[in-house]
Amino acid sequence: MRVSLTINGATRDVEAGAGDTLLEVLRREGVMGVKKGCGTGDCGACAVLLNGRAVNSCLVLIAKCAGAEILTVEGLARDGELHPLQTAFLEEGAVQCGYCTPGMMMSAIDLLTRNPDPTEEEIRTAISGNLCRCTGYEKQVLAIRKAAERMRGEGDE
Amino acid sequence: MALHSVETVLRPSTLEEAWEEKAKRGESARFLAGGIDVVLYTPPTVTTLIDLGGLDLGFVRADEGALEIGATASMTQIIEAPAVGGYLGGFLGTALRYVASPLQRNAATLGGTIAMAHPWSDVIPALLVLDAEVILFDGGERTVSLEAFLGERGTGRESHPLICGIRLPAATEGAGGAYRSLTRTAFDVSLLNAACVGSIDDGSWQDVRLAIGGTPALARRVRGVEETIAGADVSEEAIAEAADAAAAAIDARDDLRASAEYRRELAAVLVRRCLSEVAGTSEGRAA
Repeated sequence: MRVSLTINGATRDVEAGAGDTLLEVLRREGVMGVKKGCGTGDCGACAVLLNGRAVNSCLVLIAKCAGAEILTVEGLARDGELHPLQTAFLEEGAVQCGYCTPGMMMSAIDLLTRNPDPTEEEIRTAISGNLCRCTGYEKQVLAIRKAAERMRGEGDE
Repeated sequence: MALHSVETVLRPSTLEEAWEEKAKRGESARFLAGGIDVVLYTPPTVTTLIDLGGLDLGFVRADEGALEIGATASMTQIIEAPAVGGYLGGFLGTALRYVASPLQRNAATLGGTIAMAHPWSDVIPALLVLDAEVILFDGGERTVSLEAFLGERGTGRESHPLICGIRLPAATEGAGGAYRSLTRTAFDVSLLNAACVGSIDDGSWQDVRLAIGGTPALARRVRGVEETIAGADVSEEAIAEAADAAAAAIDARDDLRASAEYRRELAAVLVRRCLSEVAGTSEGRAA
């Protein structure tokens, strides 16, 4: 089947199998920031925004994505400038091996879009579907909080 | 993983069309809503998916105190809907927040949840104590109680209609609801869960509805205890007695997550906390 969808702002017409997942199509299209971890929705490494909401792309069929807008970690930076969330992740050491990072960031974007001033508990809930085996989550929570401050125009910049 | 056996995905625009396509194909076709369980559990004999996304079933609306929720509304949509927040103090949203993770709640739908009826579901116990009715379509629209619909599963008498949505009758004025679940991790499914709705009039329990799920069987109402507690004075003793009776009444069994013995202990604690919260006691507020 042919599916037309927008990936990080660019409209693409992709050829896919009727039973393909969004994750498989994205990676075939060269969007490699989207990781395949478990393939069962447990790890969150494949998280992308689908029409503004973070989902496990391994559990979304491409057939559901006709006309959809997809945002992945590749779509966060603008004009060569990292997104405040990316900067905060780097500064706080929230990236170690990096495998969970793209998915974790998309969960954080979903949160911060709706809740610019989240509590620590809300941050932890938002990333509860993203497994990280390196950091113990402390660094990511700090980074998301720091990004939230900067995106609200507060913080140290 | 891709569903390699799937050759066609249809997207009907009417209930009639969706039903006819399904009836024509029988077991070789599956309905598709959010798609989570379709990706995870579709057997390789399925060649056609019938996407319900074009049927306008994504609604969440209040109707004179009652709530109507469409089959393709996601868990997140339901949690965030003002109509749900205003129904029984947001009880349904509290239960739905236990479902997996936000990533899955953004895709998982009400219809998919009811169709799969996983025994660990956090949604079904909450719907059971709300006396939910399921709106079905199999050539014509009909409504049955969720309890009756689920009761037919595995009996050989069950049908596989198209699930259009649910209707939750208007809550009794002054009624409250409470939901508790224990999981090994924030993400894992319930070791056991309990849902309770009830009200208190003049210091005694009225119309208490209690359901326990993940026993590890699918949630069921605990009617014996509902009947015993009705009319009883609201006291810590009555709550503890009801909680112990509920724990004794469930069909607790061992599985990889917990033993039957542990589940009974857990049932008593979770039911006590639910009843305490509905009663507005300090333990209910704290737990």
